[in-house]
Amino acid sequence: MKANPKDVLTGVHYIDGDVASGYGALAAGCRFIAGYPITPSTEAAETYGRIAPPAGAMFLQMEDELASIAAVIGASWAGVKAMTITSGPGYSLMMETVGYGAALETPFVLLDVQRTGPSTGVPTKTGQADMMQSRWGAHGDYEVIAIAPDSPQELFDYTIKAFNLAEKYRCPVMIMADECVGHMTEKVVIPPASEIELEPRRFYQGSPDQYLPFRPDLDLVPKMAKAGDGFRLFITGSIHDEKGRPVKNDEYKAIYTKRLVDKIRLNKDKIIELKEENTDHAEVIVVSYGISSRVSIKGIEQARSKGIRVGSLRLVTVWPFPDEKVSELAKKTKAFVVPEINYGQIAFEVARCSHGRANVVLVPHGGAGVHRPEDIAEAIEYAAREEKKIEQVIEYKTRLEKLVFQSRK
Amino acid sequence: MNPITSAFQKAIQDSGTPAALISIVSDIPFTPEQTNQLGVDFFHTIRGRAIAFGSGLKLANPALKIVSVVGDMMTLGGNHFVHAARRNIELVVVCINNFVYRKVAGQEAPGSHQAFSPYSAFEEPFNIPHLGNSCGAVYTARWTALHTEELAASISEALNKRGLSLIEILAPGPDYYTGIDNVQSELTRFYHQNSVLKNGEDPRSVGIGPDNKIVVGRFTDRERPTFIDVYNIQLGKVLGDKFEPYGKTESNR
Repeated sequence: MKANPKDVLTGVHYIDGDVASGYGALAAGCRFIAGYPITPSTEAAETYGRIAPPAGAMFLQMEDELASIAAVIGASWAGVKAMTITSGPGYSLMMETVGYGAALETPFVLLDVQRTGPSTGVPTKTGQADMMQSRWGAHGDYEVIAIAPDSPQELFDYTIKAFNLAEKYRCPVMIMADECVGHMTEKVVIPPASEIELEPRRFYQGSPDQYLPFRPDLDLVPKMAKAGDGFRLFITGSIHDEKGRPVKNDEYKAIYTKRLVDKIRLNKDKIIELKEENTDHAEVIVVSYGISSRVSIKGIEQARSKGIRVGSLRLVTVWPFPDEKVSELAKKTKAFVVPEINYGQIAFEVARCSHGRANVVLVPHGGAGVHRPEDIAEAIEYAAREEKKIEQVIEYKTRLEKLVFQSRK
Repeated sequence: MNPITSAFQKAIQDSGTPAALISIVSDIPFTPEQTNQLGVDFFHTIRGRAIAFGSGLKLANPALKIVSVVGDMMTLGGNHFVHAARRNIELVVVCINNFVYRKVAGQEAPGSHQAFSPYSAFEEPFNIPHLGNSCGAVYTARWTALHTEELAASISEALNKRGLSLIEILAPGPDYYTGIDNVQSELTRFYHQNSVLKNGEDPRSVGIGPDNKIVVGRFTDRERPTFIDVYNIQLGKVLGDKFEPYGKTESNR
């Protein structure tokens, strides 16, 4: 299915990432966004709010993020593609309902333009510390898909991809942008609608009497029906059987939960997108995502100029995590360097998958800024030099971290 | 069939709304056994979010009729109710008030004047129809679960109102600690016997207290433009020909 030309602002634009995501949402066929203004995501919502009404779509500014995400899930069950947009504090408020959306297998997209935390943090400055929250934020077992774009162009492209994945796997899809990518202004090329491929909703086509709303297809994803079509839907966030009726025994709980996680885990190869470069004979591989992957480019260049063979693995898809790929690379390389704007989230995932075969060097950053490329280059040099196998994640002391330790004396 | 479900069934028939277009969105109290006989779509959401979920459902497909049956409305869902009423989103909000948190043992709630909390209730309870009326609801009413006829008439009227309607139903609900497990209990009869009918009463004076009679009736019935009405007026004004009124075309679906 192709995009509708009415929804696509074809052309070359010079816009920031937030705006690009708003354009991407409409191009993806999103008909409903509900949100609550919060820096640094506001421009995405404002953009959609401006372009949606002439296209027959709706932007609704709700009373809070709790309402926003609940309305989005409601809209999705009315049969339309829907999305919400937020940042740290709003993201935290949404978590209970993310779990509800996952339990109902509701397709929807959530854009988190990450700022610093905890709490209010520095509202206007960047961070990457919501990565684990995107995976584990709600209670209970479930899986989501999370994508980390690193440019305005990618915020356009991957917003569309996020909708496609949400429809295909009927799960929440998180776009884990950050303030830098959201507020970075660059060239964004929007192709004609005929070149934008969209995933249609997996609507059930048979008669309502035969319909089992939670009977999975072969890929473990069930077909959906929408409200108002005479299906007498019974949809609950309680553990339910294929008819949707609540069940309480442990056997069925296992059947239900296992499918909820397996529909993502067993389809991982189709979901995960990575950008891999020069990893074949690399001594050190930089694993990065979002804005940190942009900053890494220069750090990698600096290290290469000193004769170090550096590869790069960019996680476009962060969740589900590319366990196999990291394990495979761990057999070939000496060390991984993981720059991220937090005190260790994805670095620990890399260590988990490296099984002690390669050292893992975390290049931390407390947030409200990005790494200096020199810090990444120096961490690469250190990783290349270190001959000992070190089981724990090594926290590299950047210039900023040295200042932190000095301040304690 | 319990009296509230009977009232719903009658209301749906009388209102002329096709059952298939109705979605009942609950947060906690309306149990599965009560909805499968009605021919509607049913969404059991999470505590407090039924009105927000229902707003999304309604605005994404304005052809739907949404009944939000809520229990946690005045606590977790309070802000959603206040704003949905202010915006006048077309929803029928049915608040089943059992005065306490009954499923978890009867703790004090915003509607309580008596509770099974260790030291009973001492906070001032909400006057729910007054709250709805002040926030902009176009229709408010209160009945006990045994006012089946009147309740059915109210739900039917509300289904045909343009805007947010609020119906408060006094009913004990299922109960795990006193053995009262249906709404035809002595407690419901007590509510019914201690009620006094005052249609058109000023909602400010219908608060429920331990010593006064429970005032039942229709309190508010007025017209206000709905959210979609004002949305279409404003955007039509600003965008002119570039804007097609929302909710009128297939492209909204």
